[in-house]
Amino acid sequence: MKDQIEAIQAEALARIETAGDARSLEDARVAILGKKGTLTEVSAGMRDVPKEEKAAVGQLLNAARQAITASLEGKQQAIQDAADRQALEGIDVTLPARALHHGSLHPLTIIRHDAIRILRRMGFALAEGPEIEDEFHCFDALNTPADHPARNEKDTFYFDSGKLLRTHTSSVQVRTMEGQAPPVRIIAPGSAYRRDEIDATHLSVFNQLEGLYVDTDVSLGDLKGTLEYFFHELYGPKTEVRFRPHFFPFTEPSFEIDVKLEVKGQAPRWIEVAGCGMVDPAVFEAISSSRKDPAYDPEKVTGFAFGMGLDRLAMIRWGIKDIRLLIENDARFLKQFA
Amino acid sequence: MNVSLNWLATHVDLKGKTPDELDKLLTFAGVEVEGIEVKGVSSDKIVVAQIMEAVQHPDADKLKVTQVDAGDGQLRQIVCGAKNYKVGDKVPCCLPGADLGGFTIGETKMRGVESKGMLAAASEIGLTDVEDGLMILPADSPIGTPVKELFDNDVLLEVEVTPNRPDLLCHYGMAREMATLLEVPLKPLDLPLHEGFTADGVKIEAPDACPLYTAVKITGVKVADSPAWLKERLESIGLRPINNVVDISNFVLHELGQPLHAFDAAKVTGSLVIRAAKDGEEFLALDDETYTLLPEDCVISDESGKALALGGVMGGADSGVTGETTDILLESAYFTPSRIRRTSRRTALSSDSSYRFERGVNPEGVLAGSALAVKLILEIAGGSAEPVMRLAGEVPALTKPVTLDLAKLDQLTGGSISYDEAATILARLGLASNADNTWTVPAFRADLQRHIDLVEEIVRVKGLDAIPSRLRGTYVPSSAVDAAYDADMRVRERLAGLGFHECQTIKLIADAQVADALPLKPLLPGDTIRVSLPLSEDHAVMRPSIIPGLVASAERNVRQGAGALRLFELGRVFRNAGGGKAKDLESDTLGLLLSGDALPSGWARKDSTIDLYDLKAVIAALVPTAPLQLNPRDRDGFALACDIQAGGQNLGSFAMLLPSRQRELDIDSPVFVAELDLTKLRKFVAGSGSIEELPQFPGSTRDLALEAPASLANVEIERVLAKVKEPLLTGFECFDVFRDPSGEKLAADRKSIAYRLSYRAADRTLKTGEIDTAHQAVVAALTKALPVGQR
Repeated sequence: MKDQIEAIQAEALARIETAGDARSLEDARVAILGKKGTLTEVSAGMRDVPKEEKAAVGQLLNAARQAITASLEGKQQAIQDAADRQALEGIDVTLPARALHHGSLHPLTIIRHDAIRILRRMGFALAEGPEIEDEFHCFDALNTPADHPARNEKDTFYFDSGKLLRTHTSSVQVRTMEGQAPPVRIIAPGSAYRRDEIDATHLSVFNQLEGLYVDTDVSLGDLKGTLEYFFHELYGPKTEVRFRPHFFPFTEPSFEIDVKLEVKGQAPRWIEVAGCGMVDPAVFEAISSSRKDPAYDPEKVTGFAFGMGLDRLAMIRWGIKDIRLLIENDARFLKQFA
Repeated sequence: MNVSLNWLATHVDLKGKTPDELDKLLTFAGVEVEGIEVKGVSSDKIVVAQIMEAVQHPDADKLKVTQVDAGDGQLRQIVCGAKNYKVGDKVPCCLPGADLGGFTIGETKMRGVESKGMLAAASEIGLTDVEDGLMILPADSPIGTPVKELFDNDVLLEVEVTPNRPDLLCHYGMAREMATLLEVPLKPLDLPLHEGFTADGVKIEAPDACPLYTAVKITGVKVADSPAWLKERLESIGLRPINNVVDISNFVLHELGQPLHAFDAAKVTGSLVIRAAKDGEEFLALDDETYTLLPEDCVISDESGKALALGGVMGGADSGVTGETTDILLESAYFTPSRIRRTSRRTALSSDSSYRFERGVNPEGVLAGSALAVKLILEIAGGSAEPVMRLAGEVPALTKPVTLDLAKLDQLTGGSISYDEAATILARLGLASNADNTWTVPAFRADLQRHIDLVEEIVRVKGLDAIPSRLRGTYVPSSAVDAAYDADMRVRERLAGLGFHECQTIKLIADAQVADALPLKPLLPGDTIRVSLPLSEDHAVMRPSIIPGLVASAERNVRQGAGALRLFELGRVFRNAGGGKAKDLESDTLGLLLSGDALPSGWARKDSTIDLYDLKAVIAALVPTAPLQLNPRDRDGFALACDIQAGGQNLGSFAMLLPSRQRELDIDSPVFVAELDLTKLRKFVAGSGSIEELPQFPGSTRDLALEAPASLANVEIERVLAKVKEPLLTGFECFDVFRDPSGEKLAADRKSIAYRLSYRAADRTLKTGEIDTAHQAVVAALTKALPVGQR
C-alpha cells in the first residue's frame, strides 16, 4: 500500500509537471483526484488497511494529497501566469490612442471666467442688463450730452423704435443703481456694439466687463488697489500697471490703464487694457432723479467704475493677432483651448 | 493733432528734454502721444554738393550720370534718376557710409556705371518734401557742409487731445500745459490790442449760435506766397502753404486755437449779418459742394442777404481771398459748440475750425487771435488796418468761481495730498485763489465747473502714483445673475467634456440666415429685429436664434476639412414679442450642432456617423435627473423637428437640417441642431436638492419583447408603462428594436421592440412568484392599451 501511494504520488507529480496548458492540467487533476482518480481509488483501499497501520498509511495518504494539491495549484498558477504574459505580449503601446472628441471652452469664456474669479474673490457680485438699450441708460444717465459724438447713427446701431444697441456695458451700472441702494459692488460681463467695420482689430460686436463699487467712502486708493490687484492676478504679480489720466463723461477723474506687455523677442511696450475712474457726481444725480430718493446723494456716496475689453485681454493673453479669430470658430483655433 | 517741438519752443523753454521725457510728461497729464517723429538730417555724411555735369546714362533712358563737387577735392560720379534739377544746382549728396535710417549708402554700379553716393530728395534725408525730386538747396550753401547744419531738427508729436481739453488744441495751449507740468515759465504773448470798438458793420441776429463776432478791415494787402519761416511752420505740422493771408489764419489757429476767416471785402455788401439760415437755404461752400441748410445752422451773410460762410464751419466759394484780393475783412468769433456740432454732423462737413468750435474755443482768445493775425498780415502782406474793431455781442462768461471741498478731497485721495500742494497745483494751472477755498477759473478752462473737476486737475498733475492703493471692500450678497452664471459655466464645462467646442458667433446676422433659426417658438412675420442702418446686409438682423451662427461656423469648418462638427454656444437671442418691452426682447439660449463622425476613426475604430440619438444623448446629459423626451412638431425648413421635453417642461427645439440645406452647405453627413432655453436649463444643472436612500433589498429584471405596428412610437409604450398601477415596477428601458424590411422574419410593417423591466420592493426581497404576477399585470396593461403582443 505504502509503495502504491508513493508510486501514485510520483506519477501524479510527474504528470502535473508535464501538463502544458490549463486543459491538460485539469485532465491530470481528474485522473488523480477525480471520482475515479488514482489517489481517490487508492484512498478507498484504506478500508482494508489493518488497524495498526491505518495511522501511518493515512498520514502517507494525506501527505501525498497535500503534495499533489500544492503541485496542482502551483502549476495552475504558473500556467495562468504564462497565459497572462502571453496575452500582453506584442502589444504596441506606441500605437496612437483610440481617439475621443476633446471639447473646449472658447478663449473668451476662459478669460472672462478668470476675470470673474478674481473679482469675485474681491467680493463683487454679477449683474446684467439688456443689450437693446434706451438712450437714457446708455447715454443720458451717464452724463453723455445729447450731441456727443458717440450718439449718432454713424457710430451706434439704432432701431426704428429709437432704442439702440448698447455701446458699452456701463448701462448696467445705471440699471443696477436704479434697482438697488448702496452699497453696490458689481461686475457685469456682456456684449457691446459699435458701428465699426470688422477688421483685424475691430469687431462690431465685442465683449466688455464692467465694474462698479459705490459706498460711503470709496476713494481713488480703492480704485487703484482693486485694479492693480486684478491685473497682477490676471497677468502675473510682476506685471507693471500704470494709470494714465483720461476723459470719460461718466467718471471724474478718469484714467486709462496700461499694462506692460513683455513678449520674448520684442521690446516691452505699454498696452491699454481698461478705462476707469471715480463715478461722476452727475451720474449719481441722474440716478437720484430716476429713483426719486436720496440713496445716491452725491454728497453722501462715492464710487469707482471700470470697464475693460475682454476680447483685448484674450488677445494679449494668448498673443492672438487677429481679433476675427475670436468669432470665426475655426476648430483648428478652438482645439488649442481644449 | 500734430505738435512741433520747435514751434512749442517759441513759447516755453524745452531745452534738455528728450522726446521720450516729453512723451511721458504728456501721457501722464492725460494727453495721449500716438507717435513721435524726429524731423531733420541725422547723418554727418550728407553734404552740400553742386552738380557740375549731367549726361544721359548709356543703358538707361531714365537715368543720368552726374559729376558733382562735394567739397572733397575731386568730382564724384553719381547716377541719378531725378529730373527737377539743372547743372549748377546745389543738392544734398549722401556720401558712402551715410546712414539713412536703416540703410547705408555705398559705392555701387547702376546699370554698369559706377555711382559713388546718392543725390537725395528732402524726404529721403528726414526733411519735408517741397519739390518733386531732388531737394534744391539755396545757391549760397557752402559746398561740402553737412546739410544738418543748414536745418533745425524738429520733433513732431502726434497727440490725441481728449474732448474736455480744447485749450490744448494749439501750440500756445500745449506750451502753457507743459510749462505748468515742468514748472517753467511760459513766455508772455505780446499782442497789440485794438484801439477801440464799433458796433457798425456787424450785426448778430442769432446770438444763441454766435454770441460774439468781430471783424477787422484791412485794405491794400498784397496776396502772395508766404515767407519761408511761415511756410516752414505750417509744413512742420503737415499743412500745405497756400498764400500769405490764408497761411496766417491757419498759423493763428494752430498757434492760439482761435479759428479765423478772411473775406474778400470787395465781395461783401454793407454790414456782415450773422443770422440763422433759412429753411432750405442753399450754400455753395469752399469745397464746391452745395449744402441745404436749416434754421439750426448759422450763416455769415451781408446786406444782400447772401450767405458768405457757414459760420464756424466753412467759408463760401465766392467770398474768400484770392490772388486778386486787396481788401479783406478778417473774422474772429465765438460760436456755440453744440450748434457747430449739430451743423457739422448733419452736413458731414468738418474743418479745423469746426473741430475747435464744437469743442469750445477760449472766448477771450477771440480778440487775441484777431490781433495776432492783423499784426502778421500787416507785416507780411502789407496794407493798413482800421484801428477800430467791428464787434457785436459780448464775450460769453463760461467759467465761474468753483469751491474746492477739502473734506471731499481728503476722502477721495485718502488724505495723501496736502491742501498747500493742491493750492499750488491749481495756481500753476492758472486758477486764482479767493477766500473760502474758492477758485477763479481762467476762461480757457471752461471744463472746470465743479469741485470734482478741480480734484481731477490736482490728481492729474500730482499723478495717481502718489495716492496709496487700498485693498478693501464691502461684502455684498451674491445675485441671481451669479447663480445663472455658475449654472451656465456648468453647462459649458459639461459640453466641453462631451467633446464640444464652444463658439462665439456674431449676434448680427443676414436676413437669409434667419431661415436657419430654430427658436423655441417659430418666428412670425415681424418677430425679427433689424437695425436701422446696418453696416452691411450680412449683419443686419439681431439673431433670433443661435443656430444660424453655428450653421455658418459648421460650413466654414467643413471647408477647412473638419471631420466632426460638435459646436455649442451660449448667448443672447432677440425677438420682437410682447410689445417690445425690454425684457421681452432678449433671452439666453444654448445652441448645439452635431454632425460628422460619432467618434474619431482610426486604426482601432472604423468610421461611424452620428445620428439623432447622439445629440439626444448630449441633451440627456444636460438634464440627467429628468427623463428626456422629444415630441415631434413640424418646423418649416427642418426635418425630424421636435420639442425637447424634460421634467414636464418644454426646454427647447431639436431638428435635423433638411438634406437639401445640408447639400447646399456641402456637408456630407446629417446635421442635427438643438436650441434650449437657458433659463429653464439652469434649473436642471443646479443639481438635485436631496438624495434618494439606496435600496436595502435586491431587485430583479424581466425582459419583454413586444411585436407592434412599425408606426407605434416608443413613447406610446413608455407612457403606458409609466402609468401602470404596479407598485413593484420601478423602471423600464428599451434595449432592442428589430425590423425586417424584407418581411421574412417579421412583417415589414411590424417591429419587435424589447424592454427590460425592473421590479423591486423597498421592504423585502421579492419572490419569483411575486415578480411573475407583477410582470403579467404589466404585460396585460400593455396589450390592453396598445395594439401590441408579447413575442
